[in-house]
Amino acid sequence: MQPLLKLSSIKRSFGAIHALKGVDFEILPGEVMGLVGENGAGKSTLVKIISGFDNGFTGEYQVNGEDVRFPHPGRAEQAGIAIAQQELSLIHTMSVAENVFLAGHNVPTFANKRTLVKMARPFLNEVGLDSIDPAIGVDRLSVGEQHLVEVARLIAHDPKVLILDEPTAALGESDSIRILDMVKRLSKRGKSIIYVSHRMDEIFKITDRITVLRDGESQEARAASTLDVNSLVELMLGRELDNMFPARALPEAGKAVANPVIQVINLWPDGLLEPVNFDIRPGEILGLAGQLGSGSGEILAAIAGARKTRAGTLDFGDESFLPANPKQAIAKGIAYCSEDRKLDGLFLGRPIKENLSSPSLGSVSKLGWMSRSAENTLAYDIAEKFTVDTSRMNDQAGVLSGGNQQKVALGKWLSIGPKVILVNEPTRGVDVGARAEIYQKLRDLAAEGTAIVVASTDIQEISNLPDRVITFYRGMQIGEIGLKDMTAAAILKQITDPFNETNL
Amino acid sequence: MNADAPAISRQPKTPIWLANLVDKYTWLVVILVALFVLTFAYGMITAPNFLTWFNFKTIIRDAALVGIMAIGLTFVTLSGNFFLLSMKETAALAIVAFATAMSAGYGFELSFLFTMGVAVVAGALQGILIGLGGNPIVVTLGAAGLFFGIASWWSDNLVISFRRPHGAEWLGSGSFMGLPNITVAFILIAIVAELVLRYSTFGRQVYLIGSNRAAGKATGHENFSMAIKTCIIASACSAFVAIAFSAQVSSAHVNYFSSSFGSSGDMTILVIATVMVAGNSIMGGFGSSLRSSLGAVFISTVDNMMVLHGFNSGPRVLAVGLMIVFSIIVFALVRRGSRVQE
Repeated sequence: MQPLLKLSSIKRSFGAIHALKGVDFEILPGEVMGLVGENGAGKSTLVKIISGFDNGFTGEYQVNGEDVRFPHPGRAEQAGIAIAQQELSLIHTMSVAENVFLAGHNVPTFANKRTLVKMARPFLNEVGLDSIDPAIGVDRLSVGEQHLVEVARLIAHDPKVLILDEPTAALGESDSIRILDMVKRLSKRGKSIIYVSHRMDEIFKITDRITVLRDGESQEARAASTLDVNSLVELMLGRELDNMFPARALPEAGKAVANPVIQVINLWPDGLLEPVNFDIRPGEILGLAGQLGSGSGEILAAIAGARKTRAGTLDFGDESFLPANPKQAIAKGIAYCSEDRKLDGLFLGRPIKENLSSPSLGSVSKLGWMSRSAENTLAYDIAEKFTVDTSRMNDQAGVLSGGNQQKVALGKWLSIGPKVILVNEPTRGVDVGARAEIYQKLRDLAAEGTAIVVASTDIQEISNLPDRVITFYRGMQIGEIGLKDMTAAAILKQITDPFNETNL
Repeated sequence: MNADAPAISRQPKTPIWLANLVDKYTWLVVILVALFVLTFAYGMITAPNFLTWFNFKTIIRDAALVGIMAIGLTFVTLSGNFFLLSMKETAALAIVAFATAMSAGYGFELSFLFTMGVAVVAGALQGILIGLGGNPIVVTLGAAGLFFGIASWWSDNLVISFRRPHGAEWLGSGSFMGLPNITVAFILIAIVAELVLRYSTFGRQVYLIGSNRAAGKATGHENFSMAIKTCIIASACSAFVAIAFSAQVSSAHVNYFSSSFGSSGDMTILVIATVMVAGNSIMGGFGSSLRSSLGAVFISTVDNMMVLHGFNSGPRVLAVGLMIVFSIIVFALVRRGSRVQE
């Protein structure tokens, strides 16, 4: 059978970064192809090339045996390739039917709402939204249903290949099942589907074959039936782990565990299914492992007072309370970096120096007036510790690279002399060099007695950086893994399939 | 991430704004600036009596009232809380409060404190609503109606006058080293405001919260208290202007700051125009009160020149409008270049 899409030796570089170093990929008509790999392995770059968002690649790209290079996504759509991205592109003030025909394909010039409703019906049925009235507003649907509407919109163009980029990442259980059912139904009707996901259970449930990307290179596509979770994880992580991660020491046998800085007691942040309990100990890097939607990031935000919580307290030993806002948490020596530094981690338009001193204006001022020398000393100290170029202290933080921005976002907390540093996704959007520096810095801080808590969806990071890992799955606390048993496979098992739903 | 790569090496020797000016927008910016400078120079030279010490003092005195209010509003704008559309109405409320107290014979000091008290309450009220998440436009539009309504009702829409001699004359018509006291007050307030913004922790918080409110909250600087403080500052500046104006004319009426009364247009619009002409970022985090002070002098200069040329109020209001459009274009272009990535 001739493959519908065939890409061979695809390479793509961004400056010095080689995102794809030679990828082969193909999909047959009516096939469900799983596309898996770690964060940064090149999945999204590949998906962008296939769907025409990125045409700066080298290598061959054939559709039905003909060479193509789409100048823009519209062309790819005409060639029958449609992509449902993680971020929905629905218009929330419009009805379901109007959203399905957003692009206006095959719609008469003048169409009233009733016509649209009638026309939308078959596409909605196809994605499993039989019971939905196409005339209601799209904002009345659940997030999962909205994803299905998005797919219905794509199907209305009658694509041959449908790319689903982590469609269930932000969905709960029941919505996820609807997506999987839809994939099965569509493939039965002869559509080819490229299914990108981090969730092992889903991959095994619905895909025919699986292509693994690792470090910008593809592994040969294998039939899903010849693989199991362990062999797939091995394929994903196959590379040798270089010395990016600082060394960890097993706790000495018989040595008493340090008293916790904070005991998290029945903390129930919004977005989690049940309360969580764990200890944060000084001198240790604690990892919260979980995929998107697992709630691990929400827990950090809750401890830092940046997120609403239903219940729970933080026990500091001599007192217990729960910060209502970041200001209260900072006063207790709790520092928090969210996963989106541009949103709330940096003042991009202000000088780096001001960013570094921002959490502790009180310590660099007297009677309400800033002390320039104190601020300079503080900022230079931090910058030197975090290897940020000290000659650029007066430049806007916005001109820095992602890695340096992250160093500033993290480093600013040194100014408060934190007892606990909470970091969500410490190296998202950070290049390899800066990554190693950030890991080393976190390790140094832990060695100095600070308690570090890292939440990450990056399996390599979460299995190689922390001394102890607590796992989360869809809003539930699953288990705790000590350094002795800490392997990527063990963590992956707990964060993707703790209840043995894969049936392998 | 990938877009970062080229930005790392980017460290121009020339100031960024200059580099970009020459870089991308040469033609547009240069033409606009040249046009403006030419018109300005022409008007200056041909206007009778423009370049005299007396006229200079007139310009600064005219700039003072709008300028003081603009300095107050600058705090609100810099902190990312947009504008107060109630500047004029706050002044109306304040002037009625002041004149009522004066005419009742309470003396300058008590009347001043009473008026400032009213202004602080008015500012705090708006600040609380904005700090709680209310849209500044909606909140202050509502507050404008509220204040104006109270002021009209209170004064029965009549002119309240208090007889000379009274304790406020020194502020209204006195002078210091040849400069009217209101001008001296303007200069002092401008200096203090700039020092506070530049060197105090409060000033730093204004910039930080204005630059990124979410990051401000995450680092312990809440907009709630910031909104209240900046609104009180703006309100107090409005009230001060009202007091000074009332002291000058020994009377008060709710319409003293409306376009129907003055010839240079509506006070709120003028104040907002001043803040914008000066190139302060509407979204906050960038700008200074010094810019606003200079903006007031600038607008007042243009206005003065047009008066000397015999233009009536229509063309002068038009000129203010044109200046806003002009400065928005220039500052937007320049800044788009200087902020490498956001």
